[in-house]
Amino acid sequence: MSTAPVGATLPGVAGEPRWRRDLALNLRATVARAYVRVIGSLREPTWVMLDAVFPNVGMCAFVLLYRALGAPREFEAVAVLGGILSTYWLNVLWGMGAQLFWEKQQGQLQLYFVAPCSRMAILTGMAIGGALMTTVRSIVGIALGLWVFHIHVAPVGLAELLGIFALTMIALYTVGMTLASLFLFFGREAWHLCNACTEPVYFLSGMYFPIRALGALGVAAAALIPLGLGVDAMRQALLGPGAHALLPLRLEVAALAAFGLLFFALARVALERLETLSKREGKLTQRSG
Amino acid sequence: MRTALTQLRSAAWLGWQIDTNWADPFLFIIYAILRPLATGLILAGVWWAAGAHAPSRQVFAAVFLGNAFHNFVTWIVIGMGWTIVEEREDYETLKFLFTSPMGLYRALAGRALVKVVIAALGVVVVLAVGWFLLHVTWDWRAVRWPQLSLTLLLGTIAALSAGSLVAGFGLMLPRAAILINDGLAVALYLLCGVIFPIDLLPRALQDVALALPFTLWYEALRRFILGAGASARIGAWSDGALLGALTLSTLVFAAIGRAGYVALETRARQLGRLDQTTTF
Repeated sequence: MSTAPVGATLPGVAGEPRWRRDLALNLRATVARAYVRVIGSLREPTWVMLDAVFPNVGMCAFVLLYRALGAPREFEAVAVLGGILSTYWLNVLWGMGAQLFWEKQQGQLQLYFVAPCSRMAILTGMAIGGALMTTVRSIVGIALGLWVFHIHVAPVGLAELLGIFALTMIALYTVGMTLASLFLFFGREAWHLCNACTEPVYFLSGMYFPIRALGALGVAAAALIPLGLGVDAMRQALLGPGAHALLPLRLEVAALAAFGLLFFALARVALERLETLSKREGKLTQRSG
Repeated sequence: MRTALTQLRSAAWLGWQIDTNWADPFLFIIYAILRPLATGLILAGVWWAAGAHAPSRQVFAAVFLGNAFHNFVTWIVIGMGWTIVEEREDYETLKFLFTSPMGLYRALAGRALVKVVIAALGVVVVLAVGWFLLHVTWDWRAVRWPQLSLTLLLGTIAALSAGSLVAGFGLMLPRAAILINDGLAVALYLLCGVIFPIDLLPRALQDVALALPFTLWYEALRRFILGAGASARIGAWSDGALLGALTLSTLVFAAIGRAGYVALETRARQLGRLDQTTTF
């Protein structure tokens, strides 16, 4: 008769530590959820238009606005970069934040909760898949910027650019994970909250203009929403002084890393607490239609 | 006539309940004005960043005004399209509206009336914020009220007509309904020169833009409120020519909107798509 503590080993895999088994399970869940996100979004062509084309149409309007104002070309590049990154914010809001709300509406949310893996692993998979697909779709915006609006970017180290981009994505998608946890408790309000978090966040993040133009408000907003810092850091890396940056790049990079850690922890706590609360209030599987 | 008015009133009341009952009235009003206000503030951010290069402040006023009134198009045109999606997908009540004595078209019209009121509220708030915080001002004595009143009426009719057509397409193409709604919102923002003069568009797109009543509407609003429009091309037209073109364009849109809706609804019914949910 075995004397090992209950749960210390996987039945049939003698000697394997529990942490290793859990890690393998959660990694598999992450990959599986990312796979569904990628394949699922490819299967619905209309979503490609929604994600790849429409955000860039708004970007075109702002580029033309700068032309109407007679602004230097660097401002057009500011708007183009903002437009490209707005695609990610839309994905964070609708693809991450509202995802558990959609699942609830379709009667699938309970499957998430009976699965043996961690809910954080599922959310991480959603984030990785979402970021991956949005990156593929952001090619439309990049193509528009380079070949239609002829924006010029400064020579930049690929490693530096990828590093800043990765930190921005981590910060953004951990916000999405936190929102997903919060929306667990919401019904129809989730939809309206997503709507309400689009243009106001664009304004506070300086999506189509240098956030520095907001002065103290810009600094305060950057301290709350990582999108503004991410956009500003990417602009600094690609446009140099033409970015009209808010803070030194090193500081923004450090802040983005801190945001990533903070929101990951926050998402974990929020998910646990709101799951309990939703169960207690009977809202976990309650459709809001 | 009396029956029709009663039905419209009932549909409007129902629409108000559906649109607003997820929040208390105060929160709903904040929600309704938040997006147009934020878009106006984004324009202010652009102005603060690059306004020093602009030839005059009048450019910003024209842009801000166009953006404020675009709230009508967003709420009415896109809102009517979303009404179909919500009724069919979220509440699964489209078939009941269809079989009710008022019918689907009148129910839609009633819902649209609520959206007109909400849109108007948003426009007033955005213009007030522009006036007091961003100094987007104009001379009230120079406002040409008769022309402006006609312009507002024509714009509302054009928006309701376009909304009917969007709703019709929403009935006919359930899987593409969300795409149509979102696509039209951004397409109209770009094509109609809401925040820039259409003269900056490629020539072929300018001609398309001129066929849309909303392009003429924004220019007419700018001209009759601020005293000048944004587009040099339309600026060469006389007031009469601009109002004539707007009237003609609106009438054509109204005819297409009504006939198009009826045809699309009939076809959707024939194909059994009226209550076809997509689980989007």
